[in-house]
Amino acid sequence: MNKLTFQIAPGASLIRISNFGFRVLSSVALVFLFFAFGFTSAAATDPPSSFDAANNLYYAGKYSEAVAAYENNLHSGQKSVALYYNLGNAYFKSGQIGKAIAIYREAEKLDPRDPDIRANLQFARNQIQGPTLAASRGQRILGKLTLNEWTTLAAAALWLYFAILAFREWRPSLTRALRLYLVASAAVTILLIACVAISWSENRSSRTAIVTTRDVPVRKGPLDESDSSFTVHDGAELRVLDQNNNWLQVTSDPSRIGWVRRDQVLLSPQI
Amino acid sequence: MIGLYNESCPNSQRFPKLWLICLLLGSVAQIPLFAAKPTFTTSLDRDSLIVGETVVLTMKFEGISPKGMPSIPQIPGLQVVGGVSSSVNSTITPEGMTSATSYGVNLLAQKAGDIVIPALSVEIDGQKLQSQPLRLKVLQNDPNAPAQDLSERLAFLSLSLPKKELYVGEVLPVELRLYLRGDVVNISNTQIPPLRGDGFTVSKFVQGEKYARRVGNNQFTVIPLLTALTPVKDGQLNLDAMNGSVVVYRQSANRRQMNPFDIDSLMFGTPTEQHQVPLSIEQQTINVRPLPAENVPQGFNGAVGNYTMSFSAGPTNVAVGDPITIKVQISGRGNLDALSLPEQAEWRDFKTYPPTAKVETHDQLGIEGTKSFEQIIVPQNSDIKTLPALSFSYFDPEQKAYRLLTQPAVVLTVRPSASAPPPTVALPTKTSGENPAPAQDIVEIKRQFGPLAQVTRPLLVRPWFLALQGVPVLTWVSLLVLRRRIDNLANNPKLRRRLRVSHIIRDGLNALRQHAAANDSDQFFTTLLHLLQEQLGERLDLPASAITEAVIEENLAPRGVPETTLAPLRELFQTCNLARYAPIKSSQELAALIPKLEGVLRSLQETKL
Repeated sequence: MNKLTFQIAPGASLIRISNFGFRVLSSVALVFLFFAFGFTSAAATDPPSSFDAANNLYYAGKYSEAVAAYENNLHSGQKSVALYYNLGNAYFKSGQIGKAIAIYREAEKLDPRDPDIRANLQFARNQIQGPTLAASRGQRILGKLTLNEWTTLAAAALWLYFAILAFREWRPSLTRALRLYLVASAAVTILLIACVAISWSENRSSRTAIVTTRDVPVRKGPLDESDSSFTVHDGAELRVLDQNNNWLQVTSDPSRIGWVRRDQVLLSPQI
Repeated sequence: MIGLYNESCPNSQRFPKLWLICLLLGSVAQIPLFAAKPTFTTSLDRDSLIVGETVVLTMKFEGISPKGMPSIPQIPGLQVVGGVSSSVNSTITPEGMTSATSYGVNLLAQKAGDIVIPALSVEIDGQKLQSQPLRLKVLQNDPNAPAQDLSERLAFLSLSLPKKELYVGEVLPVELRLYLRGDVVNISNTQIPPLRGDGFTVSKFVQGEKYARRVGNNQFTVIPLLTALTPVKDGQLNLDAMNGSVVVYRQSANRRQMNPFDIDSLMFGTPTEQHQVPLSIEQQTINVRPLPAENVPQGFNGAVGNYTMSFSAGPTNVAVGDPITIKVQISGRGNLDALSLPEQAEWRDFKTYPPTAKVETHDQLGIEGTKSFEQIIVPQNSDIKTLPALSFSYFDPEQKAYRLLTQPAVVLTVRPSASAPPPTVALPTKTSGENPAPAQDIVEIKRQFGPLAQVTRPLLVRPWFLALQGVPVLTWVSLLVLRRRIDNLANNPKLRRRLRVSHIIRDGLNALRQHAAANDSDQFFTTLLHLLQEQLGERLDLPASAITEAVIEENLAPRGVPETTLAPLRELFQTCNLARYAPIKSSQELAALIPKLEGVLRSLQETKL
């Protein structure tokens, strides 16, 4: 009846981990990564002819018409990263930096590692005068992956952690050999879950107002008669703190807080 | 409103912290000094002053311990007054501990003019160290001196505007001075609103080094608050009036009659009076002129100030499609944050990516320093022989003229690419004369529509995904329970035997039914006896083979097993003995014994022995 017969030669333990454990774990990780990074890569479709037409308008320098054509594409329900990106370019070229930034941000959410999107978004941000939100180093790191990608990585790390735990129960003789892997996977799991939590918080609870008017006074109160606290310009990104009817309380940094009219900004993520 | 400065309580007691300082110093003494490169620097606590005032010259040694203060040569217009202050600061860094020794000397300004404090040289342990020369402006009178009638006030504000004629985009350093009369020993609850004005951007206040200045017949301590104004539009612009307040503490009027037996005064210092003093600055008007429309250099992108430029590019031997890194450093004074690299129209044969920028400032206000740009450009064809000259232009408000900085062209070797022709992003195609060609400032549009974007709900809110995360947890918990059970069994022989016996009895009862049905009397009673022996042996912790009818009287009865259990048990043993000599022939008779056996076994299992 005694089933404690799992005796493995001491020298063979690590070999077995590397041959078997890693094969299983890497397979799990690959499956997760496939799911994680496959979400945005749906089957390619034939581009609508209106997309090409919008591109032609853009190449012809008719940026306002190109904006309208790209937006028609968006309203038709066929959306792609390239469509958002090109619309952002058309907005930028037509002098609407705020709207361009808003659209680039949407494109970046779909494909955060597209170098062209990142480059143009950065370029557009460089044009902004006056106060604007500056992304922290942590936000830049988090922005390299989508929320779903962070979630999948965290889930993969969680699976790996519990797989090692289960393997220890199955092969108690390997408990000591697996300790380092266990601690490392626990640390990675905690880190990734923290990233997910922060990314989720940024996605859900944090709203950004993007100024779409040339010069917008940020007032001390939610009234047109209130004194101007400071002025922001087209494209400035501001964190939304509160809302009062048609006014938003915004901040660009801890020393600058005020109110702007709702119709002077676009809200992200609710654009 | 701001509340700043060293608003320490005049009666604060620092002695209880001494033990902590000693502890820290003791700890620091255990850390080896980090052998940093020794440096010797000099600095002044301000760069302009009035004749009759003193300025503090600080000489700082880092990474080396001087044997004494270096000698200061005779400086025309300045006289060394007062004693020498010295301090040693130790800093613990990840690399080790660094130590800095500083000496402070008061220099009295004796005459007006621009004074240069020459570079000082010292030789320590065979090493020659030299500081940099310093410039000091000594004025005969303060051009922004406050009115004499303010000299009786305990505290007041004064705004020092170096000039009132500016250009759009010009950065003007402004000093807001808080004057505190000499008998003010401390201040608190300082409320000074930020400087504001329509058409200006204003940086945060930075507190400078305080200094002494005479107004009328009174000596004042001046706390300078520095900020930078930048007009963003032209016209007659107003800086708003400011209203604030400060609570000042001055020596009590009856100080001279202080009672020597007044314990409070002796223990907590000089008695003070508290006053709240209003502070105000009147509205100021500044004339802001637009940048001249004449002689605007091509590519001028709004930079105002005074700058120099350095440039590098590499590698210079590349294949088509390989990146070349351009590094541009623009140094000087102005709105560094707003500086951007102008478009380089001559770089049309290169695909350009937006530059990254980093600002390093040298002053408190962040208006002097260096902005470093790094830009990637990619040659698009192998006909390129040079990287065309890079130009940067700015408007110099002091000279009231535009300046153009140009770096010479860089010779390039561009080889044909080994791979397929790269550019999916093509240069813009000109379609008609009336439509201007798209600029090369942002990366071009994508020609391919690409895959459809599926904006789906986040995985975190999908039930199937959350449920899936329970799988590894359940797997681990199952294996954990199994492992605990196996361990428990391995460490408990009684439990192991009990499980084994229950298994034998389950099988044995089935065998009994088969033997009864087959009317196999011998096998039936052999099995029955075996089951009794196994069950009794497990309960009494004896070998099964040692169990006979005698254990009923010897082991069970003394342990208080009820007669209701013992009587049928005794009967079963006796039936087994009888069966050897008078076998029971009937299946029904054999089968009738099975419930009796089951009852006995159940009673034995339930009895606590």
